[in-house]
Amino acid sequence: MATVMEQPALRRQSKSAQMRKYGFFPGCVAKESCKELFNSTLLLAEKLGIELVELTAASCCGASVLNDTNRDVARVLNARTYAQAEALGLDDVITICSTCTGHMRAANKELMESEAHMGQANAILGKFGAKYEGTVMVRHLLWLLIDDIGLDELKKMVVKPLNGLKVAPFYGCHIIRPESVNGWESARNPHSLEDIIEVLGGEAIDYAGKTRCCGFHVQLEKDGIAANMVGQNMRMAKDKGAEAVLTPCPLCHLALDGYQADSAARWGRTDLPTFHLPQLVAIALGIDPSLLGMNKHMIPPGLVLQSHDLAPAHVA
Amino acid sequence: MGFTLDIFRYDDKIDAEPHRDRVEIDQPTTMTVLDALEYAKAEVDGSISFRRSCRSAICGSCSMNINGTTGLACKTPVSQVLKSDNSVSVDPMPNFQPMKDLVVHMDPFWDKYNRLKPYLQPADKDEDHERERRVSPEDMKKLVAVANCVMCATCYALCPVVSVDPAFAGPAAIAYAFRFIEDVRDSKRKERAAQISDDYLWLCAHCYACSYCPKHVDPHDDIIAVKRATIEEGLTNHAGPRHALVVAKTIKQTGMLHESEVVQGTVGRFNIRGLLKQTPMMIRMVKAGKLPPFFLKPVPKVDEIRTIFNTLEAPTL
Repeated sequence: MATVMEQPALRRQSKSAQMRKYGFFPGCVAKESCKELFNSTLLLAEKLGIELVELTAASCCGASVLNDTNRDVARVLNARTYAQAEALGLDDVITICSTCTGHMRAANKELMESEAHMGQANAILGKFGAKYEGTVMVRHLLWLLIDDIGLDELKKMVVKPLNGLKVAPFYGCHIIRPESVNGWESARNPHSLEDIIEVLGGEAIDYAGKTRCCGFHVQLEKDGIAANMVGQNMRMAKDKGAEAVLTPCPLCHLALDGYQADSAARWGRTDLPTFHLPQLVAIALGIDPSLLGMNKHMIPPGLVLQSHDLAPAHVA
Repeated sequence: MGFTLDIFRYDDKIDAEPHRDRVEIDQPTTMTVLDALEYAKAEVDGSISFRRSCRSAICGSCSMNINGTTGLACKTPVSQVLKSDNSVSVDPMPNFQPMKDLVVHMDPFWDKYNRLKPYLQPADKDEDHERERRVSPEDMKKLVAVANCVMCATCYALCPVVSVDPAFAGPAAIAYAFRFIEDVRDSKRKERAAQISDDYLWLCAHCYACSYCPKHVDPHDDIIAVKRATIEEGLTNHAGPRHALVVAKTIKQTGMLHESEVVQGTVGRFNIRGLLKQTPMMIRMVKAGKLPPFFLKPVPKVDEIRTIFNTLEAPTL
């Protein structure tokens, strides 16, 4: 019979400037169709003076669908990833994807709370000489920016304020829900993205769609479903005056950036350019937008950036 | 002391458009939203309509939208939801047609539930019974959470998939499918799995909006379990299970979720019509220079990943 261990903490104390070395789990989409997210993250990390050690032998987190096939495999795969971080002496695994965040944290919670799960994982990891001690915490880059760098410090680093750019935060799902797994902030009323937008000199738009689903995970199940979910949310943002969208998740980014073209028929044209979190932070911190993959967006953000004096004319 | 109740008013037999009434409630904010509605109805306007019965989160009647998010009025203290202008807005549940004020037409919700044949169908139901049908505590444990469902439809109202596609069964019906699929006394596992699969089980977008369940049923884990049951029952000739199994396959092969292979595997490599439907998105991705790679080099030590899959006998496409 498994004994329940002490409830693991949902949030880590901030790291001092000398200790800012983190395990880095970019996830699959940032290495495949959203490489601009991966590149922007590395550029931003350099600017912030933090060291991201990429876990190159890590596997996919399970992307929320692996649980549909087998209830254990994603948990054990993630235990393997955490063991790799521990072997490198790292206790933080930083993600840049909401789905990675939610599912890796869920796996870690199960491992920490159940000796049976931890035992099963380590029995399999033992076959190739690995062991997970249970010291890792999975954190999103968004939380690192606020907990470790701090909003005040970030504000001081802004050299190119967003000049009132009206940005709609789009949290999506897995970075806030379920609250028992994420718990970094209120799932019903989060404000971390708004805080970041305002510190960078932008104006955060409040709209009901900010915590709703982008539909990415069902885009292939039935025609038009993701486009409809995207259109519904982007309509709300546009009606509140948004000029652009900011998301901490590359899956949301693919859906929002890619499906607004298909949702126009039902929801009207919205055409809101969507930024990855590190892209917008990097712009405000003075990194040249042309290095941040602005040309890798399906809805080009160039015009919106130029209208706020944030990018030269040659940026897409 | 005192606050304003901002109430959605509408009668689908009379009104072309809804309007709102603001009712001043001269009472402490420690009362629940349902208490406030009862007070408004008793003291101010007897025509205000809403459903309620038990007033203690057992009957599931009083689910409504409170300040834009759905929950049980009887379980929500006014003080917890008071807006900065000292008001609370109440609206009918979204994803339903309003009938009168806060009362909605529940038929689509009950239809989806009834399609499940929501009663036990044991193999020996026609035999004479001398003994009760017993279940071990271990077998019953996994059904305890879903047994707390009061069918208040909060999850259905919060579901973003239902909001764009009413064909989707919704979280509560799938949780009830789980309740019978996982019941050791029931004999219709495969039929039930097929039924819920046909009711677009796989349209669940994994958004966890149903984790706001006021009775902590949290249907999302049940939905995942029902998906596994459909795969176990061999009901895999469908985009949903193919998607899950091809994701598993690419992770086992390369360590990564291989995006381009997942699209082909889900839609079907020879499903020309299905693949054609993906082409507008593909063209947009090509134009933006972000088409994912067709070939992926496996991550270092991919053998370890395969060992994990093989040890757990995890299925793949």
